[in-house]
Amino acid sequence: MRNLYFVLLAVLLLVALTATLIRFYLRHRRSAETSWQDLVHRLVWIDRDAIATIALDAVTDEGELRPHGDCFALDSGVIWNLLGGLEGLEVIERNCQVLVELATYLQRFYPEALVVAEQLRLNAREIEWHVSRLKGAAQTGNLEASFANYAQRAVVIYYMMTRHVLTLYDQAQFPGLPELQQAI
Amino acid sequence: MTHLTGFDIFTWIASFLVNGTLAIILFVRGRARSFPFFTAYILEQVVDAIVAYFVILHAAALTYQKYSWTAASIEEMLKLCVFYEVAVHVFCPTGSWARDVRKAFLVLICLSVVIAVLLTWLAHPYAPRFIQTQILRGNFFSSVLLSELCVGMVVLSGTVGLPWKTHVARIAQGLGAYSLARVGILTIQNVVGIHGGRHIITRTSHVNDSIYIACALYWVVMLWAEAPATRELPAAMKMQIYTLNRQVENDLRRIRTWRQH
Repeated sequence: MRNLYFVLLAVLLLVALTATLIRFYLRHRRSAETSWQDLVHRLVWIDRDAIATIALDAVTDEGELRPHGDCFALDSGVIWNLLGGLEGLEVIERNCQVLVELATYLQRFYPEALVVAEQLRLNAREIEWHVSRLKGAAQTGNLEASFANYAQRAVVIYYMMTRHVLTLYDQAQFPGLPELQQAI
Repeated sequence: MTHLTGFDIFTWIASFLVNGTLAIILFVRGRARSFPFFTAYILEQVVDAIVAYFVILHAAALTYQKYSWTAASIEEMLKLCVFYEVAVHVFCPTGSWARDVRKAFLVLICLSVVIAVLLTWLAHPYAPRFIQTQILRGNFFSSVLLSELCVGMVVLSGTVGLPWKTHVARIAQGLGAYSLARVGILTIQNVVGIHGGRHIITRTSHVNDSIYIACALYWVVMLWAEAPATRELPAAMKMQIYTLNRQVENDLRRIRTWRQH
């Protein structure tokens, strides 16, 4: 009986590991073959003016935190409407992943841009974390209390990220810049 | 003294030649500096091929088993070191461990060890000598552990979006594929055990050796080839990028401390 369990579990593990490896390998291959145009087309349109309004409510154009009394004027309801609720945040989350892939695309030609690409990746992960906190809060019925704090923070990171990516591509004089400017 | 079949001699020569070629490539192409543990693993394979040949021919069966146990232990330790080396290349892109990976990486190691221990505990191979049982179970444990770690590393890097450099990916692919194949082979060996005829053990060992030679040949081809050429970053742009990075870091520091205001 013990031998039977051993065989069953070992085969199960082997199949699971092989299937996972093949799945991720194919995913990696698809990603490596993705062209610049494919990546830009994956960006989901989001109201850039709304993003700027939410972000500039907290920080200045240079990214400095606004002085006390001059910041966080928008309440949760306004941010919720500007952003389009949780769906809006999920769009930001998906766009962040594409932005990281865009940075990686640049890194393929200029590996020395690795540090910035890594920073952008970490930012995207941070936004994912904020969105996951909001999703958790939505499940426990505490979304209203958490929304302004986590959502605005994620939006500011996204806003700064898009600006930095545009600057990076501008500096690299990459031909796809106008397309990217339109998309994000 | 043990009798060697024609296939045993063929795999011994092929393995020795492929590992020797790979060791030369690692030094000639300058890969040894980037992958010291992988180089040590391949050198150990070369030395083991030479020593094992003489031990099999001239020593008693028990001495060979003891040598086999020691060599296998060193080999498995080196494979774990190679895994760590690959992990450092993937998860430390800027020289230190990516902060969103540390916890997940530790969880991956702990979970892999627990699953490998549980499966090995279930294994109950029959063998005339205690040391043979331990060799079968030990090999199974290390193969399961390494397979889980390799697959886990691929999943983790894919999830967090960390890219693989060409040669790192090739080493990991070879090691992962070989470990997975070994899990299957060692499952059969642990179920069948070592009986008087040793028929299945011998056959499966031949399959194991053939798969290793195929993986080593893959490494020879892949590590000989240069990684795709990259363009050099102009000095002015390099400066701009580092300035940009400092700006991003400052932005984030400010955003993270909002709560304190």
